[in-house]
Amino acid sequence: MSVLIDQRSRFVIQGITGNVGRFSARDMREYGTAVVGGVSVNPREREVEGIPVFPDVRSACAATGADASVIYVPAATALDHVIEAAEAGIKLLVYPGDGLPVRDAIEMRAAAKTNGAILIGPNTPGLISPGKAKAGFMPSFCYMPGQLGVISRSGSLSYEACFRLTSAGLGQTTVIGIGGDPIKGVSPAEALELLHADPETRAIVFLGEIGGNDEYTVASYASRPDAKPVAALIVGREAPRGKKMGHAAALIGSQADTHPAKMKALLNAGVHATGSVTELVAAVRAAILSIPEMVDKPFPLDVLLSPRERG
Amino acid sequence: MLLTEYEGKCLLREAGVTVSDGFLARSADTVTRRKLPYPVAVKAQVASGSRGKAGGVARAATPAGARSAARRILAMRFGEERPAAVLVEPWLAITRELYLCVTVDQAAEGYVVLYAPRGGVDIERGKPPVRYDVGPARNFRAYRLREVVRDIEPDASVREKVIALARRLVEMARARDCVTVEINPLAQLDDGSLVAADAKIVRDEYAAFRAPDIAASIVNASKKQSQPIARALAGDLMLVWLDGEVGLISGGAGMTMATMDLIGDTGGRPACFLDCSANPTPAGYRLAFDLLDKAPQVKVILVSIFGGLTQMDRVARVMKDLMQQRRSRKPVVFRLNGTNAKRVEEIFAGTGLRNHATLESAVAESVAIARKAGRQ
Repeated sequence: MSVLIDQRSRFVIQGITGNVGRFSARDMREYGTAVVGGVSVNPREREVEGIPVFPDVRSACAATGADASVIYVPAATALDHVIEAAEAGIKLLVYPGDGLPVRDAIEMRAAAKTNGAILIGPNTPGLISPGKAKAGFMPSFCYMPGQLGVISRSGSLSYEACFRLTSAGLGQTTVIGIGGDPIKGVSPAEALELLHADPETRAIVFLGEIGGNDEYTVASYASRPDAKPVAALIVGREAPRGKKMGHAAALIGSQADTHPAKMKALLNAGVHATGSVTELVAAVRAAILSIPEMVDKPFPLDVLLSPRERG
Repeated sequence: MLLTEYEGKCLLREAGVTVSDGFLARSADTVTRRKLPYPVAVKAQVASGSRGKAGGVARAATPAGARSAARRILAMRFGEERPAAVLVEPWLAITRELYLCVTVDQAAEGYVVLYAPRGGVDIERGKPPVRYDVGPARNFRAYRLREVVRDIEPDASVREKVIALARRLVEMARARDCVTVEINPLAQLDDGSLVAADAKIVRDEYAAFRAPDIAASIVNASKKQSQPIARALAGDLMLVWLDGEVGLISGGAGMTMATMDLIGDTGGRPACFLDCSANPTPAGYRLAFDLLDKAPQVKVILVSIFGGLTQMDRVARVMKDLMQQRRSRKPVVFRLNGTNAKRVEEIFAGTGLRNHATLESAVAESVAIARKAGRQ
């Protein structure tokens, strides 16, 4: 299994006639994802990449039966497009854009909740269930099917991290880009719950950074008696205090925001945490080996490790 | 962006919040130009915290005292910042200092109200403030906040004033795109009234497209920045100088930080955080190289990009052109991976440029070059 998206998900792309929408529609299709329609408020083309273009989400849903949407529009109008999709009955909303005012992020999240939908974003590459479907623009070759659930605050870091995991034979159920902004459509706590409830996800990998509280949420999950093993990579040790590091939320303001404070909290909670991307694969392997049945019975470990490692 | 106290108080006043009635003075001589009852408070106007503890607030009983306090404060530095002005206000006879803050919080799914009956400079040492998770501003309910505050604020008159004020602050945060509105101290005076004796307001830079005053503050702030940072901002690049020698051109905040950390682990020091992901165009990368080529402390430039939406064949072609046009002879190390990265090798073929397969080997080469340059 995977969470949120799989082969049955049917996507529309809002803003499909823009450069990013066009590129992503083709890329998602090449991955085998069902992109069944596009939306453009001022459609000059009737189709893009062979995908029919509709003037609004409601008509796109009526004609195609879409239940998910990836929204590629500028920040200034993003809230309106997300609300339109939510009210048209779309149940999974992916808004990858960055530079979204936090007030609009609050409203987006509220609109999703009111309409019983889930919002991924803002400021994320989206999410991918390897081998099944992708909703966003992450480079496909970095992923392979497997049993790790991955949660990331950073797009670029998730590519590098998953490329390393995949190269080491450690595949993924679903990789969720929760994004680097202070208000997220899916919070770390919610992403953890989704992966916790997924029977195929055997261990969870969290890719975090300085600033914000997300890493403490991960630590409190890992302290639960029924928690799945967790590995974490936390970046930003070299970042100075009081300077925003690109992401709106990556700012060391208080002591709790610092790299050492986060590492300590995670390690104390039993998370296999590292501050070095080089050590990520080793940390994830350590987490896998801590699955109770893995200790007693080495055999099932095979399903998690690559043929090369099985010897 | 963090506003100065004066800017913050203007915003509060517009929202109907009582603030002390002061004025801004840019020099010691102008401090006494307007008449105020003495004693007065003379306060450094800087966009950074812990000003009071650093000696940036003084009480002056006479005009001469106010001038000398202003002279001393205007010569001070707070972090990297020199105050452009002092705020002169009547000295308040405070009977109690309270703490009230509205900020944005994931757990609240929006705004959260924080309140402590004892505020002031040592707020962080006392009991943590109580919190009321509001969510979207329209969800503010006075009775819910009352439930939270009731046990710690027995003075019913103060409590009701705080609740009314909290609603104004939540509405202001929403309407004026504020990420944080902190009043510490919120001063209770002899007559029982509450006055915002300080203001720490952070506005949302992303809202500049619809808030002309935020756009103007961004332009003003960039004028105060050093020239390279102002140029980077104007070119949609995110630049933070660090004190090392490995210049880093990268894409994406997380990957940039991971690379900085790896440079540290490898025994080098990053010279900067320079994220080009908002402008991955020929003009953007040309500007990035120009900034680092002109910085004498940068001994080597590491281009480390793992692109998703940024297509790496395009980046490689831009790099190839830039390397041919560039005059500087600073060594450049590449590690390009991501969408269409398979084509990088053929684009670099015959140019003498090499693309490292792993981040580790690219970082190792960069650090080795920087060290060698350091020994010379």
